[in-house]
Amino acid sequence: MAKISFHAITKQYPGTSRPAVDAVSFDVAEGSTCMLVGTSGSGKTTLLRMVNRLIEPTSGEIVIDGKNVLQENPIALRRRIGYVIQQVGLFPHLTIAENVRVTAEIAGGWTKQRLDKRVDELLELVGLPPAEYRKRFPRQLSGGQQQRVGLARALATDPAIMLMDEPFGALDAITRERMQNELLRIQRDVQKTILFVSHDIQEAFKLGEQIAVLDQGKLIQLGTPVDLLAQPANDFVRKLVGGDSILRQLEYLPVIDALEQDTVASARGGDVPTFLSDATLLQAMLKLLETNAPALAVQDKDTQQQLGFITLASINREITHAHGHKTERTETAI
Amino acid sequence: MNYLLQPYNYDLSDPASIPNLFLDHLYLVGITMLISLIIALPLGILVARRPRLYLLVITIADLLYTVPALALIAILITITGLSLATAIIPLVIYTQLVLIRNTATAINGIDPLLLEVGKAMGMNPRQVLLRVALPQALPTIIAGVRIATVTTIGIAALAYLAGQSGLGDLIFKNIATTDFDAVVAGGILIALLAVVADLLLLAVQTVLNRGRTSVSLA
Ligand SMILES: Nc1ncnc2c1ncn2[C@@H]1O[C@H](COP(=O)(O)OP(=O)(O)OP(=O)(O)O)[C@@H](O)[C@H]1O
Ligand SMILES: [Mg+2]
Repeated sequence: MAKISFHAITKQYPGTSRPAVDAVSFDVAEGSTCMLVGTSGSGKTTLLRMVNRLIEPTSGEIVIDGKNVLQENPIALRRRIGYVIQQVGLFPHLTIAENVRVTAEIAGGWTKQRLDKRVDELLELVGLPPAEYRKRFPRQLSGGQQQRVGLARALATDPAIMLMDEPFGALDAITRERMQNELLRIQRDVQKTILFVSHDIQEAFKLGEQIAVLDQGKLIQLGTPVDLLAQPANDFVRKLVGGDSILRQLEYLPVIDALEQDTVASARGGDVPTFLSDATLLQAMLKLLETNAPALAVQDKDTQQQLGFITLASINREITHAHGHKTERTETAI
Repeated sequence: MNYLLQPYNYDLSDPASIPNLFLDHLYLVGITMLISLIIALPLGILVARRPRLYLLVITIADLLYTVPALALIAILITITGLSLATAIIPLVIYTQLVLIRNTATAINGIDPLLLEVGKAMGMNPRQVLLRVALPQALPTIIAGVRIATVTTIGIAALAYLAGQSGLGDLIFKNIATTDFDAVVAGGILIALLAVVADLLLLAVQTVLNRGRTSVSLA
């Protein structure tokens, strides 16, 4: 069931010539993570902020759990939705513990003991030992640490929906990866519905079940990472997702895309390593190089039925095919 | 120091005794600060984020601030006579510049990002005011109140000229009779009151400023 549905949602700021968000429609399934990507100014933040009604749409509607958000009390709505932004915005006059608990205090219904325990759990979760950090003030934390407190604060009420606007933007690569893994773990445990704006396509691929590509306020494509790599809607999407990058394709495209039936290997009769159909091209290639085998036999991951073979040549064919005629070997960053 | 040490100067039944003059002085300062805040707080909020209005109001407050207190009392006596009003009006006028300026600065200093964060987590307007806006603005407003209070404690001695009793009585009454012991006592008591008020308000300011950079002692 769709948790959040956008129906031709449009926002045109007063005094601007074209809408910042232009008739965007799509669904986000309950418990899934949808990444919003696109160049700067493409309307990602505007789209996100219409969900918790920090911005009111010009037309169209957003439906959460079957209810039009415009018909809800905005304050009650916001209390049910976690919101994390790159600038974090911790309250300077409150300690870290007080900053984390403030969302729950506002929402109400928590006893002091439960809240104290919850705050410690959350600080632990985001990698800030509570004994050390609980009583500190925001200005005594690094930017990255503050960002983690921001995440803890949004999680305090355990909201079913999280809106995240470049939440890991200010983190170093290592901390960033830890937070991404943390988020994936949270997702496995509690299954929140997450709308996540990212400028890092690697991050989008890692965290997103669905990726929505926006350009000039329009939804250009919605799909899984593999969809975007294998069938980019246009050149813009292909560039954006790094469809030209051989490494990225190897990393994400599944082996079934590069199967062949009649090979030397099949003629030899089966003494080649076997692989399951959900493996990536990269895994297959590494295995081929490692074992020096001429081919791999690919089996369906559920039925164990033999589907075909994969060779370095078939991988190469698949990559060059996906490439079209160009062989630009650049990583595209946005 | 003799004057301060004589027990009969502490006779509560004598309206001119030290404790009674002290209370009168506190009363003058209290009323002045109350009226000052009632005027300056709304004005400061009004002119914040309105640069042209701010300039106008601050210029007027600044002009009034430059009129000597003695001159003001002299003029007022011809209008309001020897009354509480004649004593209080100059005092109120002197506090306005610092109070309006600090209030406007405090409001301007509220980070809009934090207001929005509060709103985004579901605070209602009252919660945004009490939990986000005021905690940010209060330290700067209190800093203004501190300066205004200390200044008022000093200038309130002039209330004697408007026929209002306070610690100024010790100075002005006894200068004529050259009882310098009493004059010094008046000076010491006023200074003491100013220092105590300053430290108390500094403490308030420090508490309100928690989590941010330390308060300067100046
Ligand atoms: N309050 C506003 N008034 C007028 N125009 C605005 C306002 N906020 C955003 N815009 C415009 O709307 C468009 C979309 O802005 P938005 O912030 O949603 O982009 P974004 O995709 O989040 O960009 P970025 O990746 O840089 O954060 C931009 O052209 C921006 O200039
Ligand atoms: Mg943005």
